[in-house]
Amino acid sequence: MEIIKTTALVKDYNLGNVKVRALDGIDLTIDAGEFVAIMGPSGSGKSTLMHIIGCLDRPSSGDYYLDGDLVSSLPKSALAGIRNRKIGFVFQSFNLLPHLSILKNVELPLMYAGIAPGTRRKKAEEILASVGLSDRLKHKPNELSGGQRQRVAIARAIVNSPSILLADEPTGNLDSQAGGDILSIFHQLHAAGNTVIMVTHDPAVAARANRTVMIRDGLIDYGSIAG
Amino acid sequence: MAVSLAESLHIGVADIATRKVRSLVTVLGIVLGVMCIMVVLAILAGMNESTLQWMQERGGLSKVEISYNWQYDFRQGGEAKFDLDDLRKLQSMIPEVKAFNPNISVWDARTRYRDQYYNSQCIGVFPDMQIVENWYPDKGRFINEVDIRENNNVIVLGSAVAEHFFGARDPLGQSIMLNNQMMKVVGVMSRKYFKSNGGEMWGGENALEYMNHRNFIPLSTMINKISPGSKVDQVEIIAASPEAAITLKAKLEPIVRQLMDGKRVFRVESAQEQMQQMKQSSMIFSAIFIMIAAISLLVGGIVIMNIMLASIKERTREIGVRLAIGARRVDIFVQFMVQTVLITALGGVFGIALGYAILDVVGDYLQMPMVARFDMIFTALAVSVGIGLIFGIAPAVKAGNLDPVTALREE
Repeated sequence: MEIIKTTALVKDYNLGNVKVRALDGIDLTIDAGEFVAIMGPSGSGKSTLMHIIGCLDRPSSGDYYLDGDLVSSLPKSALAGIRNRKIGFVFQSFNLLPHLSILKNVELPLMYAGIAPGTRRKKAEEILASVGLSDRLKHKPNELSGGQRQRVAIARAIVNSPSILLADEPTGNLDSQAGGDILSIFHQLHAAGNTVIMVTHDPAVAARANRTVMIRDGLIDYGSIAG
Repeated sequence: MAVSLAESLHIGVADIATRKVRSLVTVLGIVLGVMCIMVVLAILAGMNESTLQWMQERGGLSKVEISYNWQYDFRQGGEAKFDLDDLRKLQSMIPEVKAFNPNISVWDARTRYRDQYYNSQCIGVFPDMQIVENWYPDKGRFINEVDIRENNNVIVLGSAVAEHFFGARDPLGQSIMLNNQMMKVVGVMSRKYFKSNGGEMWGGENALEYMNHRNFIPLSTMINKISPGSKVDQVEIIAASPEAAITLKAKLEPIVRQLMDGKRVFRVESAQEQMQQMKQSSMIFSAIFIMIAAISLLVGGIVIMNIMLASIKERTREIGVRLAIGARRVDIFVQFMVQTVLITALGGVFGIALGYAILDVVGDYLQMPMVARFDMIFTALAVSVGIGLIFGIAPAVKAGNLDPVTALREE
């Protein structure tokens, strides 16, 4: 079943008087349950693609279907709900809120989903237990190691049971030991049936995915597809 | 689903708790402004109340007084004196009044009981003095119409004078000497008391103590026996109501002037009018202070707006993260709106507390009555919340309009 389908996706940016084309017609289909790595050099457009897939941004033209819905035609105000329910983000720099305990951080998506405090607390505790952080619930993010922080970020991304998990260089700020642990978690999640899309520079990381999509100059470079 | 208001409040409280010092500094202008409003309102209410009490103690708001005009230049001729004919004419022209009391004061009259002397104010009056001053004898009776008609040698003592001469003994029926006339004591006035506002400067604790040193005799006795040839320089009149007093004043002015051959040797004053003037001047006073408070609140509001804008710049990434995990623009808007209002309301509470503390200190120090009422607290709180609502809009709109991608890129 297709969970993501884009056709002729184009994104232009206006930098002063100069128009820059970041995406130049991307046709990409990802099935539910896939683990896809997106690779490409800096400035290739892979981040822009991630933003559009993650509903943080909208294409200049072209269609984007998520879960069968044409989300590229939705107004910005509707995208917040899509992000909340269907997408889980994991960032390179973790992006946890520093003043909140890790429990509160994980509760945030549930709060914006309008779930009652008691329920969401219970759910957040369960998810944090599943990534091995039960004994750290009251800690602030800066009291944790990088690997632990990224595990909190993953917990926050999956707590609302999203359709896709979007990870942007999730191991980029970690040492190889912690990075390996994080990748194992993604593989476990994939094995449990989640769709994972991961942007990475690291061929070793990409090698563990089902499929690698190479982006170059705003287009998919089919010549370099590995696996 | 929107984030509920309770949720936003919770976030707001947590945000303020993590930035305590900044929040406190932010809110200083509001604290001072609210405090200023509180203090001014309380002082004004206190002033109005004590003025009203004072006026009532002095004969109420229906009183109209004809007295010596200090502003008149007596080199232009004329004398501020009524003779008994003038008074009868005057009284016949204002039959509608409730009380009419012309009087003559001898400021340093010498009284003697056996071998004791006492110098104090002695006033020749009509029986209506009691109505005018709302002041009645404690013992015995007051001067009556018969005394006036027959120039009786009777005297009503002030409580302090009676105390001086007789102590605990009964003064009624005793004879005392007043300027070589034997006077029979027929009554003793009740003690006048009004808690002083001004401390020692105004004669100690009882602002009306001087009245307890007054003795009263019939006006006719004063003119015909005690102080022959003296004339009346003061008339106290009580109108039917405070409103009627103003009309009466307007009516009396030309009558009095005509009696005095067109010379303004007397002034006519109505207590109601004085009260209104006093209220008016206190309104001006309060308007000035409210304006100062308003300016300080305005400045305080602008400071808060700027600090909130800076805070949002600093928290751009946080906003980006919140947007990425599903916060809607309205959630972000409400979050910062609630935070601004919470800060200003907090400032309002501090301002009210500080205002109370200052009222206590200032009130003790000046010995001035200050009235802090619930509606003032409500006003102060409403004003501070209003400031938050007004000056919170711009930062909250800015935060709500952030683009998620740009916000996430912010370092």
